[in-house]
Amino acid sequence: MAYSCYITFPTTYFAIRAESLLKKEAYSFKMVPVPRSISSSCGTALRCECKDLSALKEFLLQNELELEAYYKLEEIGLRVPNVEELHFDE
Amino acid sequence: MNDQCLKNGNNLNLYFDNAATSWPKPETVYKAPEAQMRQACGNPGRSGHTRTLETDRLLYTVREAVAGLFNVKNPARIVFTLNATDALNIAIKGILKPGDHVLHTAIDHNSVLRPLGKLRRNGIVSVDTVPCDLEGCPDIDFLSTAFRANTCLLIINHASNVTGTIAPLEEMVRMAHGHGVNVLVDAAQTAGSIAIDAESIGIDMLAFTGHKGLLGPTGTGGLYVREGIYLDSLREGGTGSQSEMDIHPESMPERLEAGTLNSSGLAGLLEGIRFIENTGITNIREDEIEIRKYLYNAIKDIDGIKLYGPEESEKCSCLVSFTIDNADSGEVGYILESSYGILCRTGLHCAPLAHKAFNTFPAGTVRLSPGFFTGKTDIDYLVNALQEIKSLT
Repeated sequence: MAYSCYITFPTTYFAIRAESLLKKEAYSFKMVPVPRSISSSCGTALRCECKDLSALKEFLLQNELELEAYYKLEEIGLRVPNVEELHFDE
Repeated sequence: MNDQCLKNGNNLNLYFDNAATSWPKPETVYKAPEAQMRQACGNPGRSGHTRTLETDRLLYTVREAVAGLFNVKNPARIVFTLNATDALNIAIKGILKPGDHVLHTAIDHNSVLRPLGKLRRNGIVSVDTVPCDLEGCPDIDFLSTAFRANTCLLIINHASNVTGTIAPLEEMVRMAHGHGVNVLVDAAQTAGSIAIDAESIGIDMLAFTGHKGLLGPTGTGGLYVREGIYLDSLREGGTGSQSEMDIHPESMPERLEAGTLNSSGLAGLLEGIRFIENTGITNIREDEIEIRKYLYNAIKDIDGIKLYGPEESEKCSCLVSFTIDNADSGEVGYILESSYGILCRTGLHCAPLAHKAFNTFPAGTVRLSPGFFTGKTDIDYLVNALQEIKSLT
């Protein structure tokens, strides 16, 4: 089973700021509309490979970004995927 | 420095009303809104498609540019508004609570006087006005004794739109902070023309418009709110976020930005700020001081013309206010346009208390506000016109 991970943001400002900062680095990611199976304040989310999630999260937090939540979703096309909200020990 | 006469060819229409709105704009300011509407017109924060994202990126860039201009570290503390009046209303009505006391200055514009007047008449706040001297400078001694236990806010007009007089911002901010009072600065007349380091000075809130010194389109402006200040929202509505809730989002800047933003206008504002960055705000200021000196010195020698505001151009923004003995200011303005093609502003300039201080109420003054694109030959032509008009009285 293939999975993607998502970072959600409290506002569009932080989503675009994340994109702006990450573009200058070598991270692989994409800004996408938030899947409806996820609850998010902001309509745009960051999608990445799950193996990169931790590094992306650390980079963004170091740059004082406000992040909302982290999710792991099955890649199953148009069908509603199983969603797992990820929690990190801060 | 460019020359309006040459720029406009033979179409003699000399613009001396930059304190109302700046003109001409840099070419890029005219083009950017059209390009934004044609090529990247999505509703920011809403749909998540390419055009939305492009518009989100534009707004992010404008926010960064504004933050850079005022030396604000966190661009999320910049809120876009319709203009300075809108920003001042959001700040004043967002911070004041029943029972608060407010201090403001006599050179304030109606964009401050009227919101305060309404709150005062409704019994919500008490208000004291810091008087100003004959040159338009706020009375610091008065201010030093005016703070009360319930004073919540000091509003400072960075520069008078009647005389151009620049307020002693740093000193007034220090005094307010010494009493634990927040400061709201009205930078309508100075943003883009005079450097403002909001964080170094310790400005708590800064209201600005986009269409004057920042050289952008009308309908643009903003409010800087420092970290730690919580403003109650003036309006609530769509943001594209947390749509399942009937509570407006708390996070800045969206908390104070309900409804679709003027993204095409802000595309133009970005180009105005880019022009200022490329030219250098210090160079702009030096040019404007020079042109104001030239204008002031030429007019002060005309017998029967009374000038208001400081003689030293370093002490004011780029404008000159005057009256002609025995002449109606409105009529002077009419003749300047109808006979000479010179556009200026006459009357009270939405600042009635300032005119009371200068003894020019209710007749008002004639205000000439050249800008970065005004040339000395434009001023020579204007001064000749004034001499001819004076000879009619």
